[in-house]
This record gives sequence, structure tokens and C-alpha cells, in this order.
Amino acid sequence: MNMKKIRRRISGFALPFAFGVLLVILWQTQALHMWMGTDTITLPLPTRIGEIISANFATISGHIRITVIVALGGLVVGSVLGYAIALVATVFSKWGAGGLTIISAFNAIPIVALAPVVNNWTRDISTDVSLRSTVAKILVVTISCTASMSVNAFRGLTELKPFSEDLMKSYGAKKITVFTKLRLPNSVPYIFTALRVSVPASVIGALVTEYFAEETVGVGRQIRENIVKGQYPTAWAYITVACAIGIIMFTLLMLAERLLLKRRRAQ
Amino acid sequence: MSKLKRILNSRQMVTFVWIAGVIVIWEIFAFIVAATKRTPVNVLPHLWQIISSFFSDNKVSGEMTMAQLIGSSCRETLLRAGLGFAIGTAAGFLLALCMSLSGIVEKIAFPYLMIIQMIPILGMAPIILAVTGDINISRIIIAAILTFYPVSTNILAGFKAVEREKHELMYSYAANKLQLYTKTLIPACIPYFFTGLKISAPMAITASILVDTLQGGNGLGCMLSQSLKGGMTRLVFWNIVLISAMIGILSFVVMGLIEKILTPYKRKGG
Amino acid sequence: MNERNDYTGNTEIMLDNIGMTYKTDDNKDVTALTSVSLDIQKGEFISLLGPSGCGKTTLLRIIADLLTPTQGTITVGGETPRAARLAQRYGIVFQSAVLYDWRTVKKNVMLPLEIMHIPKAEREERAEKMLELVGLSDFANHYPNQLSGGMQQRVGIARALAIRPEILLMDEPFSALDEFTREKLHIDLLKIWRKTNKTIVFVTHNIQESVFLSDRVCVLSPHPGRLSAVVDIDLPRLRTMELKNTPEFTALVAKVRGSFEGV
Repeated sequence: MNMKKIRRRISGFALPFAFGVLLVILWQTQALHMWMGTDTITLPLPTRIGEIISANFATISGHIRITVIVALGGLVVGSVLGYAIALVATVFSKWGAGGLTIISAFNAIPIVALAPVVNNWTRDISTDVSLRSTVAKILVVTISCTASMSVNAFRGLTELKPFSEDLMKSYGAKKITVFTKLRLPNSVPYIFTALRVSVPASVIGALVTEYFAEETVGVGRQIRENIVKGQYPTAWAYITVACAIGIIMFTLLMLAERLLLKRRRAQ
Repeated sequence: MSKLKRILNSRQMVTFVWIAGVIVIWEIFAFIVAATKRTPVNVLPHLWQIISSFFSDNKVSGEMTMAQLIGSSCRETLLRAGLGFAIGTAAGFLLALCMSLSGIVEKIAFPYLMIIQMIPILGMAPIILAVTGDINISRIIIAAILTFYPVSTNILAGFKAVEREKHELMYSYAANKLQLYTKTLIPACIPYFFTGLKISAPMAITASILVDTLQGGNGLGCMLSQSLKGGMTRLVFWNIVLISAMIGILSFVVMGLIEKILTPYKRKGG
Repeated sequence: MNERNDYTGNTEIMLDNIGMTYKTDDNKDVTALTSVSLDIQKGEFISLLGPSGCGKTTLLRIIADLLTPTQGTITVGGETPRAARLAQRYGIVFQSAVLYDWRTVKKNVMLPLEIMHIPKAEREERAEKMLELVGLSDFANHYPNQLSGGMQQRVGIARALAIRPEILLMDEPFSALDEFTREKLHIDLLKIWRKTNKTIVFVTHNIQESVFLSDRVCVLSPHPGRLSAVVDIDLPRLRTMELKNTPEFTALVAKVRGSFEGV
């Protein structure tokens, strides 16, 4: 590596980092408050937020667990369902493509409208409030994650490299072989494209459905409850946690993608 | 005969059959719900119940019929979402422009654009309301943030996708920076710009409705939560569910239409 | 035999001991070109011929002021390449047509004229003339994606000529086209050249193409890129398809092929 490359790497990291530090300093010294015309109750200092998180860590981590279960549960079920829909749509490609347009239209339905409807549906599945509330939340996240996976996976399964299908046919390959040797591997990068959309969507979905859920638990609901009670610093602690969940889940996805697609990228 | 076959095989026909299928499934479940539940309208009313309530003359809130109520709250929500959307689009475009003009700005801003994409902005709605203290301002801010980053990242990608040869061509004409942008880079990024808009338009509407639910006043979200709390008939809620789904889809379709009009060169033949 | 006037004897482009060295990411020096000296006459059709990696495109880009050589001097009409570029003396045609797909054919040709702030009426007139020259008058209002590859490349040539450059720089302009289209464009290009009297520097890796088109073929060899021979093509200037079947043509092709070193 020469100097130029090293310098480019360092500036790519140092510049945004310095900007972040500057922002925190402005915040901590209350310069930010003056500019926005707010006070340290509504916008508490970073140190205060840190204190609250460490002091209430046991309670907060309980809510994190609940939110992460909903987000991951919905993400997994929605993605598996989405991929399954894509598989079916690939087999019946003419009708499948039309069906996927309908499914992607579902994606435009605001999650705020969806959450209360689903709450009503799950009312009778169990007498356990916690269970039926969790199911309702997971269901909402599932719906908001299905569309991106089915649309992207369908593209991965059908948009093959030119002539690759003809090549398989020339080997006398059966339809099922074309599926396992060609379509499935081809769809892997598309799965990650879908996840890049649905991982953040699952976190947002989990937080927002908590607003409408029967049970007043989870990071999202705590943000709202604490604001209603006027406990802004605690609300900010939960916001910080929510952002951390989003960032960590996305970073994990990027790492998984880099690991799994390493050889493909190199080609 | 072959004409009939062509119609049956067309894309519109496929879409139509799917929509019909969705309606049939909805109705089957609605009948089951009507037969088994105590308050079917809370779980799944018939589609005709919702539609007829929309056109009925019965007053649902004060002096307003359903159509009037939905119409006026729709206008409120769309106006605010639209304002936030416009501000976010302008800000996103400006940031992409600054990032493409200056490497330093790009290096500083790019990681933060990535982070905005990862953090749940919608979940922060209540606190933005608390900080600004004004529901209208926070609605616009959230719609703007949600619009801002898809537009910004997509335009930047559009600028970067311009082939090296086009830059060289402009260089060989001794074109200045302004000409490089107005003649080459900005027109070239229009399809990317619309990719961003198609993502952010439904998001801006969702954001606007969500912020509505946080406080009283008007707008689709407020009516939705009032209806859920029993302040109005449940059919208001169902109307809003259908209407918000429709305007979400419509916002996407409208962006696509505008794109088609602005990019006649993409149409083949003709 | 020679249809055109003899060259005025003026040197248009003078390359003196040109060299180009790059630094790679791991800090190694790579020599793309070394000690190239060449005089290109006004109105001459000259080819830069060689396999990939021989530095022919690098040399063209040095002339076009897209690259600055690390060694040697270059003058274009007595000035630096930069001065020549700013005076808009270059028309460039790339391997792909690089058309602006949101502009119609005519508006593509008008693009450089807009940048030069030429009045609208004159822009239109010049664009129409150029399209007539390349035989695309009927397609003025089409969009590029409605044209075939050969037609797109013609638009590229019309656009390059629209600014009335003295020098036309062409970087493998026909290499992406099929043989039939290419042969037709060869004839057309020579016609345009006769009509407009430009100096043409034509980069190619096709021996037959270079012999058929040029007054002189500069043979470049790789590792490191260098000028290994300059072959005069003393064929009659009015060139037709039949020329390719003559023994003289075949002999010149063989001669050019023989002058490569270390390929």
C-alpha cells in the first residue's frame, strides 16, 4: 500500500468522525440547545443519557429483548414467506409477475393503518395478553418484510445471465436441476438486496407496532410512554437504544453479506 | 377468438384477476367473521359496508359525512406530507450536489447518510414533536428526513454512474463546471432521482399519518386514532385504512407517471 | 491518382520523445509509453495500430490533453495541447458513441455548439449540415436508443465535426460494430475526410482497417509501449472496397504485420 491510499483511508474515517465529535461537543456544551431554542430537559445532554442507560440497564435490556424478538421474528418469517412466494411465482411466472405487483402494492400501505387491524385479528388466539400481543406485532413486521424479499428474490430467480439457461438445457438438465444449480445460487445476492431494505424496515415496524399494541412493552412503546409522562431524558435513552439496535442489525447484515458473497465479488 | 385470447393474456388482465382474487378472499373472510364474531366491524367488515359508508349521508363527526370527513383529513395529511416531501427532495438534491462537488463534503456526509438509513426515524417521531413543540413542524421535519436520504443517495449514485467518456467529452469542449452539471450530470441522474422519489413518496405519507396519531387536531392519523378509541364509528377507521393504502400506492404510481412524461427517450419505438 | 491536394507540408502535431509512466497502488512504476517521436501533417490520416497494452490509446489521450505525459514535449499547431483544447480544435470519437440518451439525434449534435454559446439559428443549421454529411437527416428527431450501433456512431462523428475542429481524434470508433457496418463506415469516413480536410488520428487494433484508411500507419508494440515502425501506405487515395483484393493491399498488410516486435 502506498501513502496515497493510506491517506485516503484515514481521511475517509477521520473526517466523518471529527464531524461526529464536533456535533457531540456542540450538544454537550448546549450550543445546540441555543440554536434550536430548547432546554436540557427536552434534549438532555449526552452524558445524562449515558447515565440513564447505565443506571436502568436491566429494565432497558428487557425491553430491548422484546423489541428484537419482534423485529427478528417478523424479519425471518417475512423473508422466508417472501422467498417462498418468489419460488411459486417463478414456477408460474406469467401469473406470478402480476401477483408480485399486487404484493409490492401492499408495501405502500402505511404501517400505522396495518398495526391496529392486525391487533383486532389476533384478539381471540389466546387469553395470554403478552402472547397475542407479540404475535400481532410479529405479524405486522412480517407483512412489512415480505414484499421486498418476494420482489427481489423473484428477480434473482428469473433474471439469469444470458445463455446460462440455454447452456443448462444443452446439457439436458431437468427443470429441477436448472432450479438448484442456476436459479437458487443466482438469487443469493438479491436476497441481500432485499434484506438491506427489510432489516431497517423490521426495526421501524417493531417500534411503530408497539405504539398500537395491547401490551405497553418494548423500546418503541417506552419512547412514547415516557414522553407522555414528560420523562424526556428516559425517552431519549430509549431512542439511543433504538438507534443502536438499527445500526447493529444493519452492521451484522453487512458483515454476513461480505462473508457470504466474498468469492462472488472477487470474480 | 384470438383477440379475446390476447385480452385474456394481457398484463392488465393478470393484474385485474389478482385484484379480483384479493377482493374475493377479503369477502370470504368477512363472511366468516360476520358469522362468528360479536363485533365483526372491528375485525373485518364487508367491503361494501366500507364503500357505502363512504357515500352515505349520515353524519359521522359533527356536521360532516364520511366523504367530507375523509376528504378534509386527506387534504390536511397530503398537504403536510407534500410540503415535507418537497423540502426533503430539495435538501436531498442540494446535499448530493455538494457531495459531488466536494470530496470533503462527501467523505463527511456519506457515513451519516448510511446511518440515517439504519436508524428508525419514524420511532423518533414523538421526541421530535416534544423538541419542536409543534405538530405541524414535526410532521414536516419527519417527512423531510424520510424523503431526504433516498433522494440524496440515489442522485449521488446517478452522478457517479455517468460514464468517464461523457466527462472527457465535456472536458474536450472546454465546458465549465456549470455546463458540466446542467448539460450532462443533472439530466443523466433524472432516472435515479425518480428511483429515490418512488421510495420516499409513500414514506412521506406514512410519516405524516403516524405523526397525526400522536396528537389531536385533524388529518387522517387523528381520525384513525379517534375512531379506534370509539370516538367515531369504526367504519371511519376502515375507510382510512383503504384510503391510506390507496394514496400510498397512488403516490408511487404518480411518481412513475411523472418520470415517464419527463423521460420520453426511454420509450422505445415511436 | 491522388484526389486531394498534397499536404501543405505543415506539421500539425509534433511529438518529441514522449513517455508516460504510471504509479500503481503498490508503488511500482509502469511504463505505458516510452520515447515516442512523431510528426503528424496537416490533413493527414494517421493510424495508431497495436495490440492492447501498447499505449496507443494513451498516446491519443496525450494529444487530446486528457493525459499529461511524464516525459517529452508535444505541440499542436505550435501550441500546447491544453491551448488547442481550449480553442476547441479537437473533435473526439470514442469506441462507444457516448450519446446523450435524453437528447434527440439533432440535439446531440448541437450539444458542443451550445457549450460554445453559438446562436440557436446557427446551431440548428450546422447540426442539420452535419447530419446530412453522415447521411442521417431523416433521423434528426429520433432518440439514440431508436438507432442501430452504426447509426449511433455516425451521430458521434457528426457531433465531433460540428464544432469544426481541425483535428479528429478517433479511439477505436468502429471496433464494436459488425464487419459489414464497419466496411460501409470506412468508405463514408474517407468521404467525409475528403470533404472536410481534417487531420485524423485513428486508433485501432485492426491491421486491415489501418492500412485501408491511412496515409501512414504507426505500429506500436507493448511492454513497454513504444513506436516500433511507421509504414507509409502508398495506395491510391480514392479507396474502394475492391482495393482490398489487390496484391498491393495484401503486401502492405503483410508489411505492417511484420513490423511488430515482441507481441
